[in-house]
Amino acid sequence: MKTNKHYFSTFELILLTLFSALVVVAKIALRFPIQVPGHSGLFWVAIVIVAAGIVPKRGAASLVGFSSGILAAFLGLGDFGALNTWLSYTMVGAGMDLALWLLQDPENVLVAALVGALGHTAKFLVKWVMGILTGAPLGFVALGLLWSLFTYLVFGALGGALGALTLRALRKAGFFAYLAEKR
Amino acid sequence: MSQRTRIIIAVGVMAGLVVLVLGVELLRRQMAADTLEPGSIPIYVRGKLLASFLPADLEPLTGVSFVDDEEGKTQQGWMLRDVLLLYLTRDALQDADITVSSSSREKSVPFTWAEVDDVENMVMFDLSGRGTLKLVSKLEGFDIRDAWVQDVDRIDVD
Repeated sequence: MKTNKHYFSTFELILLTLFSALVVVAKIALRFPIQVPGHSGLFWVAIVIVAAGIVPKRGAASLVGFSSGILAAFLGLGDFGALNTWLSYTMVGAGMDLALWLLQDPENVLVAALVGALGHTAKFLVKWVMGILTGAPLGFVALGLLWSLFTYLVFGALGGALGALTLRALRKAGFFAYLAEKR
Repeated sequence: MSQRTRIIIAVGVMAGLVVLVLGVELLRRQMAADTLEPGSIPIYVRGKLLASFLPADLEPLTGVSFVDDEEGKTQQGWMLRDVLLLYLTRDALQDADITVSSSSREKSVPFTWAEVDDVENMVMFDLSGRGTLKLVSKLEGFDIRDAWVQDVDRIDVD
C-alpha cells in the first residue's frame, strides 16, 4: 500500500503558497488611511487565520509566514531591511502556530482573536528586538512604544476575529466540503 | 485542559510579553540615564550640545502628513524646521547646514536650512512602528524610502 510520507500534500502546499501571496498583496494593496502602527495586521492576520483553518495542520501558519516573508523581503517591503521584514512575517506565522497549538479552534472568534493578537505581537517583538540588537535609540514609551504594542495587539485581535468569521462563512457556504472532495 | 484554562494561559502569555517589553525598556532607560535624557534626540550646534528633545516637547507643534509615492503610505509627524525653531532662531539657522543621522543605521543626511525651511519639501519626522523617529521627505533625491533615515539619534547644525 502506498503511503504519503509528506506532511503537507501538494494541494495543501499550493493553497498555503497562494495565501502567502495574498498576504503580500494585502499588505501592498489594502490600506487604511490611518497612521496607526500595525493597522495592516487587520487584513493579513485574518488571511493567516483563514489559511490555518483551511489547512488544519501544525506549521501551516508558519509556512505562510515564512513564504510571505521571502516574497515581502524580495519586494522590498518594510523600512528596516530584508532580514527584519522576513523575520517579522515568519514570526507572525510561528507565533500563530504556537498560539493555535495551545488554543486550537481558529473558528472560535475569541480564540482566533487571541491567536491573532499573539501572532501580531510576535511581529512587534521582532521589530523591537532587532531595534535593540542594532543599537536603535530608545523608543518613545509614552507616545510610541507602548502605543505601538497596544495597537499591534488590537489589530492582531481584530484580524483574528475577522479570520474566524471568514472561516465560519466559508464553512457555511460549503467550501470545506468542496475542499474535502479535492483532497 | 479545558478551553477556559487555555484562554487564561494565552492571556497570561500576552500580559507577560507586555511586561517583558516594558521592563527591558525601563532597564535600558536606567542604563542610559547617566548621559542624555533617555529616548531623547540631541541637537548639536557646531559640535556643542544645545538641547535634546522628547515627544512631549513636540506636542505643541502642528502635525503634518503626506502620502509617499513609493508605497502610498501616510507619513505623519512633525516638520524638522519646527523642531529646530523650538531651540534656535531663524537668524541662527540662516545659511546653516543641518545633518540628521542615525548611528544604528549608519546613515547621515545633510540639508541646507533653505531645504528644511521649504514646506513643499516636507522634511519631517515620522514616528516609526517601534517608537523611534524616521526622517522622511519629498525633497528630490531624498524622496525614496532607501534614502530616509530611520532611528534618528542626532541632529547637527553647522
